Amino acid sequence: MAEMWITMGPQHPMTHGLWTLRVKIDGETVTDTEAELGYIHRGVEKICEARDFTQITPYCDRLCYVSAMTWAHSYVMAAEDLLEAEVPERAEYIRLMAAEVQRLASHLMWLGAFGPDIGNLTLMTWCLRDREMFLDLLQELGGSRMHYNYPRIGGVKRDLPIGWANRLKAKVKLFENRINEYEMLLDESTIWLVRLQGVGYATAEDQLDAGVTGPNIRAAGVNTDTRWTNPYSVYDQVDWEPAVEKPTSVKGADCYDRYRVRMEEMRQSCRMLLDAIEKIPGGANTHYQPGDEMILTKAPTRAPEGATGFSTYECTRGVSNFYIQGGGDSRGKNPYRLSIRSPIFITIPYVAKTMIGYKVADIPAIMGSFDPCIGESDR
Amino acid sequence: MGTTVTIEQNAEAAKACVESLNSRFSDAGVTAEAVAQTSGKKHEFVRIICSPSQLRAIAKFLKLEMGVNHCAMVTGTHFPEGSADRGWEVAYHLNRWPIANVEAHTMTVLKGEELKGDDIPMGFEIFIPLPAGDSPSVPTIQDIWEGADWNEKETWDLVGIDFEGHVNMHRVLNPHDSPVGFHPLQRQHKIRYHDFNEMYDDPQGFGRKPIDEGRVK
Repeated sequence: MAEMWITMGPQHPMTHGLWTLRVKIDGETVTDTEAELGYIHRGVEKICEARDFTQITPYCDRLCYVSAMTWAHSYVMAAEDLLEAEVPERAEYIRLMAAEVQRLASHLMWLGAFGPDIGNLTLMTWCLRDREMFLDLLQELGGSRMHYNYPRIGGVKRDLPIGWANRLKAKVKLFENRINEYEMLLDESTIWLVRLQGVGYATAEDQLDAGVTGPNIRAAGVNTDTRWTNPYSVYDQVDWEPAVEKPTSVKGADCYDRYRVRMEEMRQSCRMLLDAIEKIPGGANTHYQPGDEMILTKAPTRAPEGATGFSTYECTRGVSNFYIQGGGDSRGKNPYRLSIRSPIFITIPYVAKTMIGYKVADIPAIMGSFDPCIGESDR
Repeated sequence: MGTTVTIEQNAEAAKACVESLNSRFSDAGVTAEAVAQTSGKKHEFVRIICSPSQLRAIAKFLKLEMGVNHCAMVTGTHFPEGSADRGWEVAYHLNRWPIANVEAHTMTVLKGEELKGDDIPMGFEIFIPLPAGDSPSVPTIQDIWEGADWNEKETWDLVGIDFEGHVNMHRVLNPHDSPVGFHPLQRQHKIRYHDFNEMYDDPQGFGRKPIDEGRVK
């Protein structure tokens, strides 16, 4: 039979968003692929040139609806670098906790969406049930369920509500047991193992050269994580270890390793959260008023021409970078240029190449295991 | 307790990188300096300013001699009111991370405090000012880091910087049938209308008019 091109997407359950994967097949085998993005390009970088530094945070929330908190933090860190703002230590702890709760919620959303890809619908209901616990916690901080607009340049919007730490502790302890439940459900499921093991190999060096970062690299046996290689916040003060997984082949990590590393990463986030509650300066059950110097310092609002700000942040899907140039419109209140590096934008073309040689039925497993999110990649 | 890279290690690595770059390239007029972040942990990174013709030599040196293994982002900026020799600028952000392939069923657990020499993670920033004009152009580094591939596509698509030698250049974020020469992040393109800053002139949007207003139907 002759080779032919088929188009998966933009409306296809595999895509996890709007994009198109064009696949050339020879029978059941993938021989070539081509990714097409840009279906939901909103021009965030251009819009940000007409907004001042405070107004940009909500746009960065909306880059990724699954992991809004980490994207807003990533932007705010770059803005702090540009505006030379200092963050109080208590605010750093609050940010760490907010970002890690978001990481749990995001990985749960990934796992919940990955389950039906593989044929396990139970997983989705379980994951969304548990994700709700963490969304409730984030809602208490930011006021809304998905887009929080929580971090501020120089601190955070509000302090932890009274009792938040206790609720967090109870939920995290419950969730640690739930992770074991997931593993009992998945690791003994033949379908899960057959569909994931031995599929979608990727080595650490290849992935890094192609720009892939985050859990996908750590699945290949290296514990590199920007939370310690490019240290920020107070990750050096809390108790955790970067999640890392032993790859099952010299060809690198397969889909199963990428699933395992995210489960381990959720455990580490839980560990970090429980420790941060104990160590937060001022105590976790104290509530400072908004704008108190314990949680927010006053930052300049204008950046001079020629100043630049850059941040490296471990988002839930990999390393996100923001690069800002000062001296824009409104006499320096706006950025002149704001540029976003989205981990998934770079990952998708790599994953498309990874699929070559596997079967058409493996495409959802390979694609899903890299955790694509089109909101952030199209910007 | 979480592992970390200390500020002493970082300063030492930044100094070594700057010395090595300067001894190799300072005769050619390339400047390399260690710059500290102004917030957070105040770690240093290496900032390199060079001309387009020097880019590939520097990129190869960084990759082969200094172990820079990750191209994070490529950013183009348009300065229509800039000087004649800086009408455009391209910024590359690169990273060095101690990542190596491992055998099956093994893993590498790095301790940040114990890393030495070229294993210490380091960030690099390359600025390339380009002369004003209609055809900004730099050589491609697509073949040096595969990760630069889609970054360069994006930069061409949005800003219109031409990457000489880039294979398979095409639109990635804008529609594939966008007009030739349309690159929305160039400064002559304004949001929504020309000379109208909707955020300050009309925050509620009451003044917005449909495009075909006044046209006889």
